[in-house]
Amino acid sequence: MHERERDLVAQFMQRQIGRRELFRRMGQMGVGAAAASYLLNTASTQVLAADFDWQAHKGKTVTLLLNKHPYTDAMIANLDNFKTLTGMDVKYDVFPEDVYFDKVTAALSSQGTQYDAFMTGAYQTWQYGPAGWLVDMNQFISDPAYTAPNYNWEDMLPNLRASTAWSGVPGEALGGEGAKQWAVPWGFELNNLAYNKPLFDKLGLGVPKNLPELIETAAKITKDAGGPYGIGVRGSRSWASIHPGFLSAYSNYGQKDFSLADGKLSAAMNTPESKAFHDLWVKMIQDSGPKNWATYTWYQVGTDLGAGASGMIYDADILGYFMNGGDNKEAGHLAYAAIAPNPEATAPTPNVWIWSLGMNAFGQQQDAAWLFVQWASGTEHGLFGARKMDFVNPVRQSVWDDQEFKDRIAAKYPGYIEQYTTSAPGSKIYFTPQPLFFNLTTEWAASLQKMVAKEVPVSEGLDQLAESVNRQLKQAGLG
Amino acid sequence: MTEATLWSRLLRPVLLTLVALFFLFPIFWVFLMSFQTNEQILRIPPSLFFSPTLDNYWGLVSGKLVTAAGTLELPFMRNLWNSVVLSTGAVLLSLLLGVPAAYAFARFKFRLGEDIAFTLLSFRFAPPLLVLLPLNLYFQTLGLNDTYIGLIWVYQLITLPLILWIVRGYFEDISPDVEHAYRVDGHGWLKTFLKISIPLARPGIAAAALLSFIFAWNNFVFALILGSSSIQPVTVGALAFVTASGIQYGQIAAAVVLSILPTLTLALYAQRYLVEGLSLGAVKG
Amino acid sequence: MAATAEVAGARAPKQSFSRAALPYLLSLPALLVCIGILIPFFTAVYYSLQRYNLAMPFLRGFIWFDNYKDFLSDPAFWNTVSISLIYTALTVGIELLLGLGIALLLQRPTLFNNALSIALMLPLMIAPAIASLMWKLMTNPNFGILSYLVGLVGLTDFKWASDPSTALLTVVLVDIWVYTPFMMILLLAGLRGLPKQPFEAAELDGVPASFVFFRITLPMLLPYIITAALFRMLDSIQQFDIIYAMTQGGPGDKLMVFQVQAYLEFFTYTNVGRSSALLMVLWAIAYLLSHQFIKSWLRLRERARGQA
Repeated sequence: MHERERDLVAQFMQRQIGRRELFRRMGQMGVGAAAASYLLNTASTQVLAADFDWQAHKGKTVTLLLNKHPYTDAMIANLDNFKTLTGMDVKYDVFPEDVYFDKVTAALSSQGTQYDAFMTGAYQTWQYGPAGWLVDMNQFISDPAYTAPNYNWEDMLPNLRASTAWSGVPGEALGGEGAKQWAVPWGFELNNLAYNKPLFDKLGLGVPKNLPELIETAAKITKDAGGPYGIGVRGSRSWASIHPGFLSAYSNYGQKDFSLADGKLSAAMNTPESKAFHDLWVKMIQDSGPKNWATYTWYQVGTDLGAGASGMIYDADILGYFMNGGDNKEAGHLAYAAIAPNPEATAPTPNVWIWSLGMNAFGQQQDAAWLFVQWASGTEHGLFGARKMDFVNPVRQSVWDDQEFKDRIAAKYPGYIEQYTTSAPGSKIYFTPQPLFFNLTTEWAASLQKMVAKEVPVSEGLDQLAESVNRQLKQAGLG
Repeated sequence: MTEATLWSRLLRPVLLTLVALFFLFPIFWVFLMSFQTNEQILRIPPSLFFSPTLDNYWGLVSGKLVTAAGTLELPFMRNLWNSVVLSTGAVLLSLLLGVPAAYAFARFKFRLGEDIAFTLLSFRFAPPLLVLLPLNLYFQTLGLNDTYIGLIWVYQLITLPLILWIVRGYFEDISPDVEHAYRVDGHGWLKTFLKISIPLARPGIAAAALLSFIFAWNNFVFALILGSSSIQPVTVGALAFVTASGIQYGQIAAAVVLSILPTLTLALYAQRYLVEGLSLGAVKG
Repeated sequence: MAATAEVAGARAPKQSFSRAALPYLLSLPALLVCIGILIPFFTAVYYSLQRYNLAMPFLRGFIWFDNYKDFLSDPAFWNTVSISLIYTALTVGIELLLGLGIALLLQRPTLFNNALSIALMLPLMIAPAIASLMWKLMTNPNFGILSYLVGLVGLTDFKWASDPSTALLTVVLVDIWVYTPFMMILLLAGLRGLPKQPFEAAELDGVPASFVFFRITLPMLLPYIITAALFRMLDSIQQFDIIYAMTQGGPGDKLMVFQVQAYLEFFTYTNVGRSSALLMVLWAIAYLLSHQFIKSWLRLRERARGQA
């Protein structure tokens, strides 16, 4: 049986597509109905007998380190499914997001064995991987002895698979040759606009399509809305202020963080184009950003939008998603749109944050832990979470294609599916992977703060930043 | 005399009002917040008027948080209990170790005495971060990580220096004459220490214990790094309301109120000792 | 003079061995328990002499004092030193004055004063990390009650911790709110414990109040002031919770104090060597400062005893 046909049948077996859909697509591939029917029957027995033993680690207990997050809630809600499937037990330690990565770093750096698997971001794997704390998942994914035939790794969005894989060589492309799969994508967010629809209607505003329009619209809101300010973006002194809207827009202008020549990295933030972009961004914050911008993190940006204190945010799409529910004042009033900040760009280029699952290299039962990771990142749990809980955005194409999920989103989150569809091809990590990611990006955020506070002119600030970055790269033998 | 009258009649109440306003208004505001929903808290502009709800407290006490996405478990009461165990344990151990040592420094001039005293105080200025990471490694080997005992040990860095220093000053200011008289009657040293010295120093001990209890209660970085979620104190528990889908300010406020209660009760109970006790003896009469 | 008699007794040659060993026996358990924790301290010293970034294990190696030498030429380090010292001086200084003032107001042991002194300790009972979260909300320009109140008096554009010119002020304000009660309670205890005679004599002689305060009250209170200031100083120079929760060391590098920088170096940048070296410098500063404090404390107490 050919690869594609088999995949289709497998999808059918997992109830990802209906029988009619299976026959239609088979038809497109030139397989007749009778033949398709034959294929299906043989496949059924094959899949059932597909010798994958979910019960292989029956009786074992895996321990997880988790962040207090809606993804975690969705997983815990479905955990009985895993326990029944495998006969295993699961223990978990949930820590608040504020201190979560401190806990992970402490747990892994002590080479402790207590946690088998844990949540991580893709950026963190640039430290944890080279440090030798993570298991390269490729060895499991590609081995049928460990991985069920219907796991369907190819179904994971390719950009995300690449963004969580790295060779460990500073500057080398993510997901390139020799890349190790340091983590498996679990849920992700990309950065676009979320806005207050009634407010836009009241002021007769259109949704901005690019950065100059965004700046203009934000200024209008600040001036005319009688209270709310125009645009919410993060500004606290942290790398986390750079990776959402800011880097998405920056990349759309074709700018890079570093340039790579002869295996050496050097700062690329002070090109004339980058300076022009920074000028726009800084002006936008000064004119119509939040007053206390320099203390703004994810939480404040979201809270303001949810409470009607801001007109729009340029941040994670799921932040806008969360703010459209719960006991937020503006719940049900928010809408979503993709943005390509550069007027000359053809499509958005959102940088992404990927909550992923990693495995502890010092863990004593990696095979059992992989069963959990496999289940948690599998299609079935993905569908459960996306349909019933807030396990968005899904990392699998098949979940995005699921009608029930799409209907749920379309009904309550206007424009959400569309912003995703428009942005998906360009959504990936735009940072250059290197071990100093967190220092240098945090320094970038500190520079931005100085520019916004008018302590230093943009051009001069970026030159200083580049100089400092280059010095540190050299010191670490990277530049 | 007119100057003094003016002082007590006018200036003093005004100043006291200002002081009370500055220190107590934020507490009052947090107290109000604990009876509000998040939507009421996040009003523009903030307002004093709202219809109070007990949901925040109910959620914390029952351990269930009902959200749009379903019911979630909250281990808050467990956190509160952990805080009680850790802080009480740490203070008791510190008293056991610190009071005799404080007595030694106060009563005897011995070789290296001041050096040992200073070394013990110096634990207060080793930044916690400095020892935390290596400690994590060693605890892993010793099997002490994720245990109350291990944490109570580490908490000595916070509680012991404070108790030692305050109780020492107190012992120094109690006249040794009484002890002498008792010893002349033929009682041994240990008996004198237990029957005379400690009771005399009780106010000082109580006050030092209360202050170090507060500092232990407020700490969270030790438990965070060295323990699993099952032994996290209330500080970490309160941070759990800062989630990706929003900060639950009402619940944090309720958590603050609940977490103050044990300390406040202790402070009220120790009130008669507190001020008297911290006066480091000050040789009454 | 009884105290010195006891001290002299302890030195007398006819003392039995067990009597001579007693003070050591009494103080050693405390020391031993803490020494156990000191082993990690020496591990950290060892780390501070290495090039040691967890994310770059292949670069790990012994480099002696290079981490420290790097600091000398690093403007960020000197910024950290100066901001830490400024922060410490400001908070300890203001809290001392304010704490002393409040203690004087509450000096008479009436029921009202006692009740108020307990109530004023409430800020101390909230963990600074959580208190800062609340302050961050209260200073939020949209929902914050404090922003609203300062707006009423015309400061509509006050940016609190977000503006480089007011950030220090804001975190110092929170520190004052949290820790002044600690100063207050120690000094109040000191005030109430002062012997009565000198004050009664001064009143009989009709000595002016300011003279009594500066020449009698203050000198007699000094040991208490030093104890209180010492403990506050040790906490203040190591301040982390408040600053990290309010600004993460920003805006720019305005509030990059030692522990915030060291915390970032360790947990976020995984640069163990540099973080340890930074903390060693902090430790040395705290050591020197407390040494001075304790020396004057011991001197004052000796003098006080001599007078008694």
